[in-house]
Amino acid sequence: MQVKMKFVTLLAGMLLLNGTPALAEETFAGWLFNFERTKEVNPVTDRQYRSECSDCHYAYPPGLLPEKSWRKLLNAEALRDHFGDNAELDKDTLEAVLDYAVENSADKSYHKRSRKIARDTEDGEQPLRITEVRYIKRAHQEIPENMIKGNKDVKSLSFCDKCHTQAAKGVFDADTVSIPNYPDWED
Amino acid sequence: MKWNSKVAIICVGMCYAALSGMAIAGEMAADSAMLSGTSIYTHSNKAYMLALNESNIVIAQADSPSTTVMDSMSAKPSEFEPPAFSGSNIHKYMGLATVALVGLTAVTAPEEDEGATTPSTKSRTQGTHQSLGRAAAVMAAATVTSGLLAHWDDFHLEDGFTDPDNLHVMLGTLGALAMLNAVSKAPGNGHPGTGIAGGVAMAAAIKLTW
Repeated sequence: MQVKMKFVTLLAGMLLLNGTPALAEETFAGWLFNFERTKEVNPVTDRQYRSECSDCHYAYPPGLLPEKSWRKLLNAEALRDHFGDNAELDKDTLEAVLDYAVENSADKSYHKRSRKIARDTEDGEQPLRITEVRYIKRAHQEIPENMIKGNKDVKSLSFCDKCHTQAAKGVFDADTVSIPNYPDWED
Repeated sequence: MKWNSKVAIICVGMCYAALSGMAIAGEMAADSAMLSGTSIYTHSNKAYMLALNESNIVIAQADSPSTTVMDSMSAKPSEFEPPAFSGSNIHKYMGLATVALVGLTAVTAPEEDEGATTPSTKSRTQGTHQSLGRAAAVMAAATVTSGLLAHWDDFHLEDGFTDPDNLHVMLGTLGALAMLNAVSKAPGNGHPGTGIAGGVAMAAAIKLTW
């Protein structure tokens, strides 16, 4: 009888866990009963967001900054001087891009790296640059400057996808890093 | 008969694991397809326009030495292959194996009221349970060691106890200690609870950083 009970419990558990990935990731239950990996950040899935951002640079996944940062970055006034460039968007496009960024920001995501970024940026001034987030800074502090700024194929930490070969999938782990011109470097 | 039931449970578990593996493999194949498309976007700032079939842009780009279709197609992700056996991956597989072993240990636990079974069947069940329990505890200890070696710079005390990586370390270590304690107490009373608690802690640790 006990064996049967174990069997039924095991089977029920398996079925429960197997069926729940359909739940949205952005809820605690959705995250809890989900076998899909959520160690990294949610990749950019919105076509408009990706096309508007990647017109000039890598389309940063919104999970790399908290909501407040995106609101500071993605408004008409801020975009007129977007780190030295004019990146103005028409009203509808700006609204759509901001909505996507806010909905998928670090503080609304259950992805591990996003959770860490959200925790890091809870207090104090909200960062405008991803490279200002303490967690990001700490993760890159051991890399010598000549591999980034002095590297003609990288130039800045802002170009995530130069070294993070799976950045488009939202994957930033050490195994997928390949620094141009320094193929043998290991974290 | 009971032994056969347990074997059946193990077989169902293995089939389920195999099916899950197939699902993950399918998902990875879909991801690879996505990577080749999206990497073009990110490695060439005009590449998305090519995807939109804007022929005037294509022609203009053809004259530009900076960004060409070939540049986009030769984006780095297709050249770089992440290592299949890195410290991080080995740690991951060991953690999953530990949880699987804990599950098998629990399933093969001898029944309290097994008076009806023959002594040889009972001792065989106990032997399997004992071996699996020991294997789970050893695997748990190895998992913690491999995690410390592979991810030593991923946890920081200043991030506090609720940081996902710090929680992962604490739960994983406590889980391994609980399993080792359960094995040392076995077959005494209380060892099942300690062992299961260890397995749950280990599973929670995995989930937090999965």
